[in-house]
Amino acid sequence: MLKIRKQLVPFAYLSPTLILLSVLSLIPIATVFYYSLMDNVIITNVPPQFVGLSNYQEILSDQNFIQAFEHTIILALASVIAHFILGLAFAMLLNTKIIGPITKALFRVVYILPWVFTASIIAVLWRLLLNPNGVVNFVLSGIGVANAPIEWLASRQLALPSVIFINIWAGYPFYMVSFLAGLQGISDDLYEAGKIDGAGTVALFRYITLPMLRPIIVSLAMLDFIWTTHQFTLIWMTTGGGPVRASEVLSTFTYKLAFSSYEFSLASTTAMVILALSTVVAFFYVRNQRLANE
Amino acid sequence: MNKVVTQPGSTSWVRFLVIVGLVLGALFAGLPVLWMLVSSFKSNTEIFAYPPRLFDESFSFQAYTAVLTDPQKVRYFVNSYLVSGLVTLCTLVVGIMAGFSFSRYNFRFKRVLNLLIIGVQSVPPITLMIPYFGLIVALQLYNTYWALILTYMVFTLPYAIIMMTGYFNTLPRELDEAVMIDGGSSSIILWRILVPISLPGIVSVGVYTFMLAWNEFLFALTLTRTNDMRTVPIGIQLLMGQHSFEWNQMMAMSVLGSLPVLILFLLFQRYFIAGMAVGSIKG
Amino acid sequence: MKHKTISLLLMVAMLLVVGGAALAQDSVTLEFSQWWEPELPEGSFRALMDEFEAQNPGITVELISGPYSTTRDQIVAGAATGTMADVVGLDGAWVSDFVKQGALASLTDMMSEAGYDGSELAAQIQLNGATYMIPVVNFVYPVFVNLDLMEAAGIENPPTTRDEFAAAAAALTNPDNNVYGWVLPLSTEQPNGIQNDVMSWVWATGGSMMADGQPNLVGNDEVSSAMEYIKSLWDAGVVAPGAFAMHEQDKVEEFTNGRVGMMVDSLAHINLIRERNPELNFAITALPAAEGYDGPRGLPYASWGIGVAENSEHKAEAWKLVEYLMSADVNSQLSSIAHAFPGNVNSTPDYVESDPLFAAAFEVFQTGTLANEFVGLPVAETLMREFEEPFQLYLDGDMTLDEFLTTAQDAWMAHFE
Repeated sequence: MLKIRKQLVPFAYLSPTLILLSVLSLIPIATVFYYSLMDNVIITNVPPQFVGLSNYQEILSDQNFIQAFEHTIILALASVIAHFILGLAFAMLLNTKIIGPITKALFRVVYILPWVFTASIIAVLWRLLLNPNGVVNFVLSGIGVANAPIEWLASRQLALPSVIFINIWAGYPFYMVSFLAGLQGISDDLYEAGKIDGAGTVALFRYITLPMLRPIIVSLAMLDFIWTTHQFTLIWMTTGGGPVRASEVLSTFTYKLAFSSYEFSLASTTAMVILALSTVVAFFYVRNQRLANE
Repeated sequence: MNKVVTQPGSTSWVRFLVIVGLVLGALFAGLPVLWMLVSSFKSNTEIFAYPPRLFDESFSFQAYTAVLTDPQKVRYFVNSYLVSGLVTLCTLVVGIMAGFSFSRYNFRFKRVLNLLIIGVQSVPPITLMIPYFGLIVALQLYNTYWALILTYMVFTLPYAIIMMTGYFNTLPRELDEAVMIDGGSSSIILWRILVPISLPGIVSVGVYTFMLAWNEFLFALTLTRTNDMRTVPIGIQLLMGQHSFEWNQMMAMSVLGSLPVLILFLLFQRYFIAGMAVGSIKG
Repeated sequence: MKHKTISLLLMVAMLLVVGGAALAQDSVTLEFSQWWEPELPEGSFRALMDEFEAQNPGITVELISGPYSTTRDQIVAGAATGTMADVVGLDGAWVSDFVKQGALASLTDMMSEAGYDGSELAAQIQLNGATYMIPVVNFVYPVFVNLDLMEAAGIENPPTTRDEFAAAAAALTNPDNNVYGWVLPLSTEQPNGIQNDVMSWVWATGGSMMADGQPNLVGNDEVSSAMEYIKSLWDAGVVAPGAFAMHEQDKVEEFTNGRVGMMVDSLAHINLIRERNPELNFAITALPAAEGYDGPRGLPYASWGIGVAENSEHKAEAWKLVEYLMSADVNSQLSSIAHAFPGNVNSTPDYVESDPLFAAAFEVFQTGTLANEFVGLPVAETLMREFEEPFQLYLDGDMTLDEFLTTAQDAWMAHFE
């Protein structure tokens, strides 16, 4: 009896989480899964009909879906890599002893600025900056880099890179703060020992800093990958996925299916594909965690 | 503290490079925000003037007065504080309990539950909206603060749990055992011993949670109906009209909205950064 | 200390929640969801509702206002979950899908029950023989011309034909000064440029993109010639840069700043332009027609339409509100504050007499016919986007005219049975 009670303790602590997540998260996900197996849901004048996996067949053979999928992977990988590099570089700069603590605190505040704004205002701001008559083109033409206004968001070649850039700008501070934290957790003794062994700056970075940060890097990369595949507002409000689907990603593709074409079954199917993709990533993460702990 | 850049003999040029790097990075991060700030002082026409100027004769605080004297907009700020504050509080309590459970107990399904908690955040929110909305209506939470609070907890809990589990894992179990010997219960271990030591980790999760709740738009719009329940991001979006945008007021409102978050960060950054360190390394 | 703050916060939250629910309702409360209130001068729409409440004791109107860009999504979600407001503001492009969803009630039934004859209504949007939306006010899209730029370019009269328009656009364009003749917003996010700035050229010449309720883009001379015409403007370099990401709201800012000589735009912008650039000297004219065409000019328009939810429990009261908004006097007031044209044929907004620009516009309005073929079509926004994508490829020279129209036609046909 006592033993059973004891076994229930961890579940008691978990119960608020489990209740909340199973009601508010699993039920909607299950509904979306159900929609993905049906036809004629939500906007319809005929009753829903079970169609098995045919929605999946339709989505997976849709050229536009494949293209959006590719763009999503490009966006997510580019963002994760650039977030990592910028986040680490800025964190190391902010971690130096060269500047005083107050200057450092002020710099930190400046560096996290992109993090504190809602996505729609970031989109509006960058639309203004990247407008053909905006500041960016003004500065570029002022220093003689470009003479005609560059259509950052309106050209098929530049739309996706521009969107990726905006996403990088908006997302690096989360990495930076985490790395800043991670760097403070690395004991000075390690560096001292490294130096005694004759290691240079590069070697210290490569053999001490990076390995010590590895667990943070893995966690961040996983979370960021999942969050970026969800990124909607930023892309929708800058290019809308255009021109001619040049910056179409899964989230904008899904949104158009759901709220413009009212194909909720197909939109749900796309959501399930994204879920599957993210689950694979999450699975590798959990496995990695397990290996790290053992 | 950081030994990477303090090689003897190379201090002066390293110092120079670091400062150049810091300034360049600050420009990268800060210039777009500076443009937001100067735009909030301009007239709507000047925002689009070419060549663009930092300041011009249209400089005024008109956008700020317009925002601050509109009781509806002030209400959006109050709502945002209330919701974000309560989300932070609830996420912390629930997340701490879950983290404690994952960190201190071994039980069946532990790994599956862990995977599930990461997994539930993998469905794009935009597709969940309609079934989720239906659920909130069925639970009679539509157009209440609790709809928003519970929703944001669903978003923030996975991260909070990952972080808190990691943080508790770094605290030695001897602490627990000392309490057990004195006859204390697990709740005493958690709330009297572990939580006070974990303050930095808690603050870092708190700041993250607060920011997410403060900036969320989509669900805030769908799950509320009346103006007295709505939050700042909706207020900003309401300035984007069918035919025209109130550019300067939008900018002013987001500048105003960012201030409390920045002050929060400035006050808590020591805790915040220290907290993220331990939590994320051992996560 | 901390616990006190927490419990205080919790209590405040609880009180707010309970307080909201406890507002007991003796009378009927009509929910009216729309995006109009934030678009109108502050308090002015609420004042109209107060007037309605005074005339109809026992009915209160609760205005639910949201941003325009998300209004449609909110109605879809509301209809799917049974929380749709009793009375809803609508855009003609949404009606077909909401009717299919079963979200909108037939207004025809309500009119006959209330004994309303409907002869005063300028338009009714009908599907399957029943009315589902009534345009309350209409925003027509004529051509705005920057007179100072025209004068500087040596052009005396605003263009009335396509050739004149092209010549004027070429004369106005001066890339070194960053000035262009025309502006064409073709953002993917808001594809309504297809309706207002592209297809309008077809309608202005009496053409149609439909035939017998089916898409008719291929082998349609009016459509082909309009598209070729726009392509010729594009190739001549008279269109302002950034078209493929431009919104309607950006278009106005370009014009207001004197960087664009001519634009097709909503009358709703007249006051905005004046307010933002009081020195700008501009005029309004009808959209140019093809050479030799002298029939009535089709005028593109957008409406603030109104409908009633199928699941409303207060349909009779809801209809009273619709009738109130459509009554000659109230409709005049609303179109005056919205700077729109009335949905009641007997209404005259006051600005028509007091304001020469609006008077000119009213003339354009009276001599033309309202034309927006996207109203009432299924998935109208998707249709615009499916037209826009090959159109952009055509403009860029990556598709021929035939390929473009065939692609669009095929995509459209999938939505028609």
